Amino acid sequence: MSNVLLEVKDLKKYYKVPKGMLHAVDGVSFNLEKGETLGIVGESGCGKTTIGRAILRLVEPTSGSVIFDGVDILKLNKQEMRHMRRNMQLIFQDPFSSLNPRKTITQTIEEPIILANMIPDPDKRFMRVMELMDTVGLAERLVNTYPHELDGGRRQRIGIARALAMNPKFIICDEPVSALDVSIQAQILNLMKKIQREMGLTYIFITHNLAVVSHFSDDIVVMYLGRLIEKAPSETLFANPLHPYTQALLSAIPVPRIHNRPERLLLRGEITSPINPEPICRFANRCNYAMPICSKEEPGLIEAEPNHFVACHLVGRGNGCSFS
Amino acid sequence: MEIKKINEQENTLEIKNLVIHYISDEEVVKAVNGVNIIIKAGKTLGLVGETGAGKTTTALSILNLVPEPQGKILSGEVLLEGRSVLSMSEHELEVMRGDKVAMIFQDPMTSLNPVHTVGHQIAESIEIHRKVSKHQALKQAKEMLELVGIPSERSNEYPYQFSGGMKQRVDIAIALACSPDLLIADEPTTALDVTIQAQVLKLINELRQTYHMSMLMITHDLGIVAEVCDEVSIAYAGRIIEHGTLEDIFDHMRHPYTKGLFGALPDIGVRRSELMPIKGLMPDPTNLPSGCPFHPRCDYVMEVCPQSLPENKWLSETHCVECHLYKDTNESML
Repeated sequence: MSNVLLEVKDLKKYYKVPKGMLHAVDGVSFNLEKGETLGIVGESGCGKTTIGRAILRLVEPTSGSVIFDGVDILKLNKQEMRHMRRNMQLIFQDPFSSLNPRKTITQTIEEPIILANMIPDPDKRFMRVMELMDTVGLAERLVNTYPHELDGGRRQRIGIARALAMNPKFIICDEPVSALDVSIQAQILNLMKKIQREMGLTYIFITHNLAVVSHFSDDIVVMYLGRLIEKAPSETLFANPLHPYTQALLSAIPVPRIHNRPERLLLRGEITSPINPEPICRFANRCNYAMPICSKEEPGLIEAEPNHFVACHLVGRGNGCSFS
Repeated sequence: MEIKKINEQENTLEIKNLVIHYISDEEVVKAVNGVNIIIKAGKTLGLVGETGAGKTTTALSILNLVPEPQGKILSGEVLLEGRSVLSMSEHELEVMRGDKVAMIFQDPMTSLNPVHTVGHQIAESIEIHRKVSKHQALKQAKEMLELVGIPSERSNEYPYQFSGGMKQRVDIAIALACSPDLLIADEPTTALDVTIQAQVLKLINELRQTYHMSMLMITHDLGIVAEVCDEVSIAYAGRIIEHGTLEDIFDHMRHPYTKGLFGALPDIGVRRSELMPIKGLMPDPTNLPSGCPFHPRCDYVMEVCPQSLPENKWLSETHCVECHLYKDTNESML
C-alpha cells in the first residue's frame, strides 16, 4: 500500500487581472507521504500561499488535481468538501489578525467542534478544549481570556489548538512563526514538532525563512513566480542546490557567525511580473548564468540525481553542476 | 553603571543612563531603564533585542522624538558629538534632524509620502538644510537616486510605482541626502525579501564606507549584525545586558540571555530534533521583575538575582555584561 497522503498534480491557479492573466501557481506537482513535512519556500509573489489555499480549496484551482488520501478533492461537492476539511487544517501567519477579538480562547477553540457537531455535550466539549489547551501548552487559567490579553506566542498556540480540534491528518502551516520573536519562535517550532510526532501529522510548511524550513522539513520545494523550480530532500538541497535561484536564496541569508562566512551570490534586479508570462525561464533576467536558450525556452523539471528535481537549462546539458 | 573613559572627541553618540517611561492614567510602561550606548566615529553599533526591549524608544530619543505626552525622559543624557540633544531648542533640533542625524525606518511602504514624487521627497531635506534653490536640490536628489541604484529618470515617479526594495532605497537616499554623521537604521530590511535584503545590506555597507558615517543598526537578526556591525549591544527589558565587539558577542558571549538568543536560532542546513528556546516570555514592561529582569527566565538563577540589579561588569577592554554570574575579571562563577 502506498504511503502517499497528498498528491498534487499540475496544479494551476490563474487570476484574471486588467492586464491579462496572473499566473499565481503554474503547473506545480508533488507528493507528500504520511507523517512527513514538505517545506515550500520562496519570496513574496512566488505563489506559496496560493498553493496552500488551492490545496484546501479556499481558492478554486484553475486546473490540476489534488488527491488526498486517494480522493480527488477537486471533484467533491460543497457538502463532501466540508466533511473532508476536517482532515485538513490551516495555521495562519499572523496570530494578531487570525483570531476573533470578541471570542475567548475557549470559544475560539470550540467553534470548529460545534460547527462540525463533533461533541454535542457542552461538558464533554469543554473537557476536549481543556485537553487541547494542555496539548499546546496553554495554562488552564487562560480559558476565559481574550486574544488582546495574550502575547503573540500564546495567540499562535490558540491557532494551533484550533487546527488540532478536528483531529486532522494534515495541516498546512502558512508562515506560522514569522510574526514571532526568535526566543518564542523556537518554542512554537518545538511544539509543532512534538505534536507531529505524537499525533502522526503530515505538514506542509510554507515559509520564506530557509533556516526554519531546513530545521523542519523532510523535503523542500523552491518556488519562483508560480513555478516549482527545485525539489529535493532537505539535506540534499542545502548541500547541493542546483538552481541558480536556490543558490542565491541560500547565500542571501545573513549567517549569525563571524568566521567562515560564505561568499555571497548577489542577484540583480527584482522579481518580474507574473502577468502573462512568456514561455521562457522566468528567472532568466536575474540569473547570473543566463544563456541564450534561457530566454527562448522554458526549462522542464528533470531529475538531476535521485529525488532531486530541478528546472534549469544549465542542468542536464552536461554542465549541470559545473557552477556549484 | 560606569562608562569607561574613552576619548570624548571620538564618540559620535553617547547615551548615558537613559530612562524613558510611557506614563498614562492607567499604567506606566517602563520602556527604557538605564541604557548606556557609545558609538565611536565611523563605527556601526548593532542594537539587538526582541519586541519590547526598548530599541526603538532609545533610537527616537536621539532625535528627541519620543512620542509626547506619554513618553517621558525621566533621566539620562544623550550627547551627539558632545552636545546634549535633550536640552536643544526646537530650532536647534530642526537643524540637527536630517542633517546631523538621519533615520531609516522599518517599513518603506508607510514611511514615504504617497502624494509626492520621490525626487521631491529627497530634495526636501537638501533644500531645507543646504539652503539651495529648488532646482539645485532636485538635481542633487537625482544624484542621490543614482547613488542608491535607481535610474535618475525615475525621480518624477511616486512611491506606489516602486517595489518594496526600491522604496527602501529611496528611504536611504532621503536619509543620506545631507550626508549625516549618524545614521539610525531601525530594522531597515525586516519588511524585505531575503534576496532584496542582501542587495540593500550591501548598499548600506558601501555607503557607510563612502561617507565615513557612524551608524546605529537596530535589528533582531544576529545574521545582519554579523554582516554590518563593528560592535553589538544586546538589549533586554530596557537595559543593555551585554555589550562588546562582534568577536566578544559571537565567540565569547557571556549573558545567559545572549546565549539563549543564539541557541534559539535554527541553524541552516542542520536538522536538529529540538531547538533550545528561552523558557517563558518577555517581561511585561508595566510590571518588570525585581532585580535582574531576566531572572524568571534564566537557567542559572541564583538567590541574589531577584534581589538586586546586577552591576555592569567589564570583562575586558571592550566587553561588558550585566549579570550576577560574573565578576570584574574574566572568570565566571559557573
